Amino acid sequence: MTAYLIRRGLLLVPVLLGVSLVVFGVMSLVPGDPALAILGPYATPERLADLRVELGLDQSWPVRYLHWLGNLAHGDLGRSVSLERPVLDTVLERLGPTLLLGGSALVMGTLLGFAAAMLAALRQNRTADRLVTLLVLLGISIPSFWLGLLLILVFAVWLGWLPVSGMTTVWLPGATAADVLRHLLLPMLSLSLVAAGVLGRIGRSAAIDVFAAEHIRLCRARGISERRIVLVHGLKAILARMAPVIGLQAGFLIGGAVYIETIFQWPGLGRMLVDAIAARDLRLVQGGVLVLATAYVLVNLAADLMQHGLDRRTRAA
Amino acid sequence: MLGPAVRMEAEAGVGRRLLGHRGALAGLLLIGLILLPAVAAPLLPLADPALTAPARRMLPPLVQGHLLGSDQFGRDLLARLIWGTRSSLLVGVLATGVAALAGSLIGIAAGWFGRFADAVLMRGVDVLLAFPYLLLALAIVAALGPGLTNAMIAIAVANIPFFARAVRGAVVDIRHQDYVAAARLAGHGEWRIVGSEVLPNLTPVLLVLMTTTLGWMVLETAGLSFLGLGAQPPRADLGSMLGEGRAFLTTYPRVALLPGLVILLLVVGINLLGDALRDLTDPRMRTATPAGGGDTRAHAAAAPALPKARPDADPHGPRALLEVRDLGVDLLTAASPLGVVDDVSFQLDRGERVALVGESGSGKTLTALALLRLLPESARTRGSIRLAGQELTALPASALRGLRGRRIAYVPQEPLTALDPLFRIGAQIDETLRAHAPARDPRPRAAQLIEQVGLARVPGLRRRFPHELSGGQRQRVAIALALAHEPDLLIADEATTALDVTVQQEIIALLRRLCEDQDRALLFISHDLALVARLCRCVLVMYAGRIVEDAPMGQLLTQPRHPYSAALLACSPELGRPDKPLPAVAGEPPPPGTVHAGCPFAPRCPRAQPVCRDTDPPLVPVAAGHQARCLFPLQGKR
Repeated sequence: MTAYLIRRGLLLVPVLLGVSLVVFGVMSLVPGDPALAILGPYATPERLADLRVELGLDQSWPVRYLHWLGNLAHGDLGRSVSLERPVLDTVLERLGPTLLLGGSALVMGTLLGFAAAMLAALRQNRTADRLVTLLVLLGISIPSFWLGLLLILVFAVWLGWLPVSGMTTVWLPGATAADVLRHLLLPMLSLSLVAAGVLGRIGRSAAIDVFAAEHIRLCRARGISERRIVLVHGLKAILARMAPVIGLQAGFLIGGAVYIETIFQWPGLGRMLVDAIAARDLRLVQGGVLVLATAYVLVNLAADLMQHGLDRRTRAA
Repeated sequence: MLGPAVRMEAEAGVGRRLLGHRGALAGLLLIGLILLPAVAAPLLPLADPALTAPARRMLPPLVQGHLLGSDQFGRDLLARLIWGTRSSLLVGVLATGVAALAGSLIGIAAGWFGRFADAVLMRGVDVLLAFPYLLLALAIVAALGPGLTNAMIAIAVANIPFFARAVRGAVVDIRHQDYVAAARLAGHGEWRIVGSEVLPNLTPVLLVLMTTTLGWMVLETAGLSFLGLGAQPPRADLGSMLGEGRAFLTTYPRVALLPGLVILLLVVGINLLGDALRDLTDPRMRTATPAGGGDTRAHAAAAPALPKARPDADPHGPRALLEVRDLGVDLLTAASPLGVVDDVSFQLDRGERVALVGESGSGKTLTALALLRLLPESARTRGSIRLAGQELTALPASALRGLRGRRIAYVPQEPLTALDPLFRIGAQIDETLRAHAPARDPRPRAAQLIEQVGLARVPGLRRRFPHELSGGQRQRVAIALALAHEPDLLIADEATTALDVTVQQEIIALLRRLCEDQDRALLFISHDLALVARLCRCVLVMYAGRIVEDAPMGQLLTQPRHPYSAALLACSPELGRPDKPLPAVAGEPPPPGTVHAGCPFAPRCPRAQPVCRDTDPPLVPVAAGHQARCLFPLQGKR
């Protein structure tokens, strides 16, 4: 386990360097003068000139990257033009709500997806299986932003059970857990159902394979109970196989969070990105993308570790 | 639905088979329903989708010539939906095309030219895949600026790594195919081979990839437009319509919900088609198993009438442990049930060791699994299996569980697959012990079992995983598991086949000792007569799902009566006689489930007479305790 951890941890370094290179590189795609793009058309010539020096536009590309990387190492992501404050402060402030939303949606989506997958696999080709197959098809085909609106319409507007949005107030001191939960429920559901669709779909075939595997069937020859076969042997094998898929789902959830946070006015990184793009605040975009991409890399690391914990035969690539 | 004749034509092209696939048909229908008006939009008598009329805003459906009503600016909703669909589809298809093209170029370069190109390109792809998918697209849009074209470029670029990786995998596969080697030998240049061998073989893979990705691309471009980063007014696609209509969600939900519904239906259609294409081109990736598989209700309904319980059913005295009468196994297939085991009757006394011998495919393992009632759901059992007088075929699942592992135990062929690879050895032994004795501390008995199978000196055995043991050690663990509850009957299915010869002998000796010590019955399944000769006193020879000879071991070895047994014996190597030729039994065994008019062995039998081909011989006594299923059994010494 320790050897695996070290090897897998070392693999992080090139990936994270690559990620930073891409984030830096994409921003150099900006057509025209980056300083003008960052500061907007109303910037004074002096500020533009200052920023050009600050960005090192007079220097070569690799020098600028290393300089940027050096700042990054000190936690300096630059200043946001639209918010007039350090990017890092804003990004860290917004990270919490996104982790809460994305994390809970990942857990919820995994639970729902696994339940559907196992039900379908155990009732293969029967009504329950067909129903799951249909729901799963809907899950992967439904636009999450549309699903979010639909849920708002039904549960907030028509039934009036849950708030439409307004999570902003909840982050103020004095917010209760129950209140957070009420605000979290709808966005989390909209986000998790899509992940549940993908996990249910891939999980179904994984579960069918697992339950057909000889070592699972032969548990019966030893007199092990069905319940234990399904919930202990079956579930562990399915989880071990699906761990990387769950990790990948985190990536899609981060994408989905951009829509869902926008719809539900959730004060997270996704909505911050959309606002930042609209305001042409490239530094803020850069910071947000970097932090989310890093989070995703770490989630995948956790998924790999989980897989190795469940199945010691796996090796670090 | 199309007729069965069409569906059964395996050679029919994918296009034709698509029409016979229910999911594909539904998908094509949905896509057609949405695609047709979108393509024909300029020809249709639609209102101008951009024509605003503030006085006629938010009209309900079917008012003033608006079939679906009007939107917040008084524009005709139907016209906007159709034109919006056109934009969304166009962008989705273009993005897919661009991503597929660029991805293919990278994938082919990496997969075909290998080494350096492969390493560099794939590291780059890996880094891009390390990005949450939409985030990369967002970053690109942020840099390029909002707009439908930029959104398309962003989505396409974000998908290039996915295509590159998939295409590279396919190309590497193709590169190792024989036809590529043949083209090389023919002296064709690399580029020519890429053009003539790789591209044609890559096309179907790519088509499936593109179809399965298209739905996703449509969703994501709509998403960017929804966020206001794609189509800019007055131009609209489904996503931007949805985004603009969001403001009126509570008052006029129709305006936002309809575009979303169209997206949903379109993507469902594309996904159905993609799944069908994948099913048809790659059977391993099937989303659903073919009809006819596991329906246990059919199983239960079709269960045979049980033989009447006979109070005096035990003519062989109390020593009879297992009595099998007229056992048959049918595999349920889409067409008709395949009879793979038929007319199997035998008896096993307490403490007796019997071998079940035959070629692979003769139905030995199916017979063993039928005895444990562990056949897959797609198989149906006929006949009667009695364990110490108790009929097993009638037992409910809970009672069966009570028997398995406790009265009957099973030692499987390949313990690497038979032990759960994810659990430590100790946990699996303890679990097996707890299965029938939940309250007792399993550890003392576990230690005893480990000692019994000769594993006491393996350090840290309990903490090890199955893959950390040798084949022989794993088989010993499997035997320990089978012995856990001191069963009356042990069924060992090719339990030594995966092992090398010396380990084989050790395991045979172990099994023999464990049975002799505790008066335990053993059914030992093998294809190797020489091996069982030292272990068992009786032997059942199986051919084509039926017992063809039932004899005491000594008699079978010296005086086989069935020509098949004789042929099997002739194939066994003899120690110290390396000069002895090793003939295989001539011919091939019939495929399982073949229906025979005559003796199934007749086509391979050197002694077959014309009558053998149309008379199915019964199993008849040929000597004391010796039966054979042959019209012309061998006589005299071999």
